[in-house]
Amino acid sequence: MEKFLDFIVRAGSLDRRYIFIVIALVVILPLFFPLGLPIRPTSSSQDVYNTVEKLEAGDKALVSFEYGPSTKPEIHPMAVALLRHLFQKDVKVYITCLWPDGQFMAMEALEQVADNQYNKVYGEDYVLLGYRPGAEAIIKGLVSNIRKVYTVDSRGDFLDDIPMMVDVNQVADFDFLFSASAGYPGTVEWVQYAADPVGITMSTGTTSIQVNEVMPYVQSGQIQGILGGMPGAAEYESLIGQAGIGTSGMDAQSVAHLVIVGFIIFGNISFFVERRRSKKY
Amino acid sequence: MFMKRQLPIAIAATIGFLTLFGWFVDEPHIKSFVDDDATQWFDILASFAMFLGALNLLKMQAIKVIRKQKGWPYAALAILGFTFSFTAGFILLGSYNVEISQYDDPAKVATVLASEINLDEKSAENILIAMPEGDTYIIDTPYFTKSGADNVVEQINAAGGTANMRATEWGSHISTRGSLFNWMFRFIFTPLSATMFALLAFFVASASYRAFKIRNFEATLLLISGIIIMLGRVPIGGHISAWFILYIVVLALSAGVNTWFKNRTYTLASVVGGVLLVTIAGFIMGWPVDQPAIFYLPVLQDWIYNNPNVAGARAIMIGIGLGIFATSIRYILGIEKSYIGE
Amino acid sequence: MKDKQFWSVAGIIFVLFMIYWVAGHPFFVTERGVMFWSILIVGGVLIYSTRMAKRGEEIILRSIPGLKAVEEAVGRSTEMGKPVLYVPGIMDMDQVETVAGVVVLGHVAKMTARYETSLNVPVSRAIVMKAARESCRESYLMEGRPDLFHDDMVHYLTDDQFAYAAGVNGIMLREEPAACLYMGKFYAESLLLAETGNSIGAIQIAGTASPSQIPFFVTACDYTLIGEEFFAASAYLSQEPELIGGVKGQDYLKILAIGVMILGTIFNFFHDLGWTSWDFLAYLTVQ
Repeated sequence: MEKFLDFIVRAGSLDRRYIFIVIALVVILPLFFPLGLPIRPTSSSQDVYNTVEKLEAGDKALVSFEYGPSTKPEIHPMAVALLRHLFQKDVKVYITCLWPDGQFMAMEALEQVADNQYNKVYGEDYVLLGYRPGAEAIIKGLVSNIRKVYTVDSRGDFLDDIPMMVDVNQVADFDFLFSASAGYPGTVEWVQYAADPVGITMSTGTTSIQVNEVMPYVQSGQIQGILGGMPGAAEYESLIGQAGIGTSGMDAQSVAHLVIVGFIIFGNISFFVERRRSKKY
Repeated sequence: MFMKRQLPIAIAATIGFLTLFGWFVDEPHIKSFVDDDATQWFDILASFAMFLGALNLLKMQAIKVIRKQKGWPYAALAILGFTFSFTAGFILLGSYNVEISQYDDPAKVATVLASEINLDEKSAENILIAMPEGDTYIIDTPYFTKSGADNVVEQINAAGGTANMRATEWGSHISTRGSLFNWMFRFIFTPLSATMFALLAFFVASASYRAFKIRNFEATLLLISGIIIMLGRVPIGGHISAWFILYIVVLALSAGVNTWFKNRTYTLASVVGGVLLVTIAGFIMGWPVDQPAIFYLPVLQDWIYNNPNVAGARAIMIGIGLGIFATSIRYILGIEKSYIGE
Repeated sequence: MKDKQFWSVAGIIFVLFMIYWVAGHPFFVTERGVMFWSILIVGGVLIYSTRMAKRGEEIILRSIPGLKAVEEAVGRSTEMGKPVLYVPGIMDMDQVETVAGVVVLGHVAKMTARYETSLNVPVSRAIVMKAARESCRESYLMEGRPDLFHDDMVHYLTDDQFAYAAGVNGIMLREEPAACLYMGKFYAESLLLAETGNSIGAIQIAGTASPSQIPFFVTACDYTLIGEEFFAASAYLSQEPELIGGVKGQDYLKILAIGVMILGTIFNFFHDLGWTSWDFLAYLTVQ
């Protein structure tokens, strides 16, 4: 018994590299051997889905890409799932980017969904306006006059030559706004300068850690629902009925969380044993 | 002295007041300045200032390499990376397209095309045949070098087709799929960034293991809410029965009884009584996984997220907002001068 | 500014403003009137408390362990003969937190100058590099040790978030500073920095107003300045009456904000019950 308790106390100050190895294994193995855990959508993801479901064919959706390669695993799956949903409903998609990396992410998502899956036509079904520097200034510019900020799209074509840009002059001309955001500028700026003043329906997808900051806006009704990180992406994929990277990542995330909780409990047991011993002596 | 002290404060005060109160003025020029120009002036300044930073970086790394200081190979790698990205962005276009406008014999041209687009010859031939009259076919992936593109053009022309090379415009070469810069972004920068972000998973695990200890009431609360959120947020949390959580609650309450009363009989009674109560209730209700809802992890997680979490976040946001206003007012009024080195 | 001067200027501004208002306040966006008066009230309270402090009113600031520990941290570095690492966040000078971080850097630089400890400040933005250099230069000059200052003390790494984190981690692992101070605006890289600092055994003090990063710093650092404590750091470290007065003013404003919240809840309750037609929330909503 003493030896066992000794082992527990020693394990309490485990070299963190052992923890890293275990975490690596529990993340990698479920990717090769999926558990197929069913995804249960939360109310916030359901709200985003319901909001998009209310859109009709021909409605205009402005989607803003504000994430880069580092947060791609969390946000790209939800961006892809959203584009699938929008294209399924034949909604016209207008894409803007407040981050320079966002344009590359948008191009990848569009190639995967618009070009390869739904055979959508550029300029008629979707347009990539591209990246412009300026953060809030760009949002304010879009709110007052899109052509003040964009004279050409990402391909260098004049906006006036693009069929779907006819009668689209400001944010108020859109029916829906979605911000796929990993930080600044992002969701909060869109709410403050566009969604709230203009009154456009807005939803958002953010990294898990940002949900805290954005939740007050969701609760006040300024944002309709939020997709939080990879779990949010997986929930949205289950709602639209098309599994993607979000879903496949959830098994790994589930097991990893369980293991971390296990580590915490074990660490506390070790802490108690050590504390008891030090009181004894 | 005036240039270093009074002038910067005067500029900060003027621009600060103008931006602050300009929001209340319905005059087009002021509105335009406040809404557009003010933030864009800063972006322009920051863009030019980037040169200072880049030169400083190069200088620091070069000194390390020249003096062969500790870790100099990494400094050499940093300079190499900088040079490569600079070259791919500003010097080498890295994006040359090959366009095929005509062909005499599609089969001959397809033999060249097939190897360039990684398809079999028959599929390549079909692509050429399907090409509408007067249209051009552009090979999807651009070539990094002009000579590479010219080489393919020569081969196609020799095979009886008409091809020419078209360079992507400067500026568009950054975002053109398959260009050198795009290749660098997709295959070097993206994996590196994702890797650094992925490190967080490991660090979160080690930080949690080290920090989440039941030292006091607040730490215990942090621990319990952390576990609920971590498990409730992922699919596996939905499979943990509410009754399992209920049993844990019974055990935790019994531990509390033991700490308070320090009486084995009381402790035993609370454990046995609690377990019996829960078991009977479970049998009566049929052991539904998500009932009682108050002990179902996803429901608990939702409640914690939407209530105490948001309340705390709002309070901190209000405090931070006041702090930002107070700090900004100090800068605008010239009370705080440390940022100019005073 | 002396009292007489201050009241004269304030009086003139007030009279001019009243004339403007009575004349029909042309060009004024009336829908934002509530916000305008709020700014005046908030600004007025802050100016009042600042002037009261300058006059010699005694103000007691509660002790903030994180700020008390800054000097200890620098002392520890001096004893161990290791440098102090200061990270002023990853955003640019347009963020108030970054400016606050540079201000605190000035105070830390005074300590390192006094104790002759080496200071390493890797930055993520070129403008921050210039501002931080000026702040450090001035601090070393004020301590009478301009010989110890060199430009490369504050150096630029990269604008990219995770490349910057990788660079700072590399510095930590190679130079093994005894004290790591993180003061500014941070995003996801906060835990990367704090955990690496923990692994080298450095004493870590963090200060940020980024709500989502506070938990990471609290978990991994020895001391954390949360939100307003970070903005009060400059007042706390300098002990200048004007700055301390501003901190007291913020407390007054918090009481005011709580009062407005309670009133708002009551009025909203009455409005929902139909006892009053005045919608307090709509009145407060800024367009």
